[in-house]
Amino acid sequence: MASGSTEGLNPVAALAAAAVPGAGYLVLKRPARALGAFAGIMLLFAGGLFIGGIDAVDSKEDKIWFYGQALVGPIALGIDYAHQNHFKAHDPDSNELRSGYPNETIATDAQGNRVWRELSDEEIAQGMGPPNKKGVGRMNEIGQLSCTLAGMMNLIVFLDALLPTVWTRREDGGNA
Amino acid sequence: MTTLAWTPFIDPIDANAVWYLLLIPIALGIALAFKAVRVGDMKKYPKHVAMMTAQIITGIVLLAIASFVVIDTLIPLLTPMPAP
Repeated sequence: MASGSTEGLNPVAALAAAAVPGAGYLVLKRPARALGAFAGIMLLFAGGLFIGGIDAVDSKEDKIWFYGQALVGPIALGIDYAHQNHFKAHDPDSNELRSGYPNETIATDAQGNRVWRELSDEEIAQGMGPPNKKGVGRMNEIGQLSCTLAGMMNLIVFLDALLPTVWTRREDGGNA
Repeated sequence: MTTLAWTPFIDPIDANAVWYLLLIPIALGIALAFKAVRVGDMKKYPKHVAMMTAQIITGIVLLAIASFVVIDTLIPLLTPMPAP
């Protein structure tokens, strides 16, 4: 099967779609469709990150949401990796990996582990704090929702690249 | 040194007062991605994206109004609560 085939299964297009949102359409030689899908999915995903911060993507503390967000592909997995490994540290008492409180900063213990250290009043006055603010309330909910919607839309785009003949496109664009 | 200054994409924005306006970019993102799959003639894509965005926003606003009417008017009528 040629990579640009629009008949039957197209695993090459599916692989491209899984790697980058909309890239499956580039393999199918539909650049306008690829651009539209990429723009929509990235508006949702980057918009969710902008609204909720990096805390909107969290495979440990918001596992169910992350199952949907992971459908965006390597971008979501990379963001979650950065969140878990560069923005979280261990609680000095319980050793639990968590986000920091506003009066904490990341330090390294004798074993080289990242742990939260409480800041002094002088350090807080200097503006020191954790590397990110924990998302709470509506901003966290809307950010998570937007990133998860990006994953769900990417699943539709992925399936359309994998099975280009299953969907029936309508000249009138279909009912919204 | 890490500071408490706001960093885009790292810290959440402070839009709690206008949270409902965040529906607009979400509706636009859904329409952009869905219509890229659905539209047959891509020349009609911008028009269909605009139409679907408006339909999503209108639908959510109507649902909000319906929820408000049910919770604020219908339920108190059906199940009157004793005065506190």
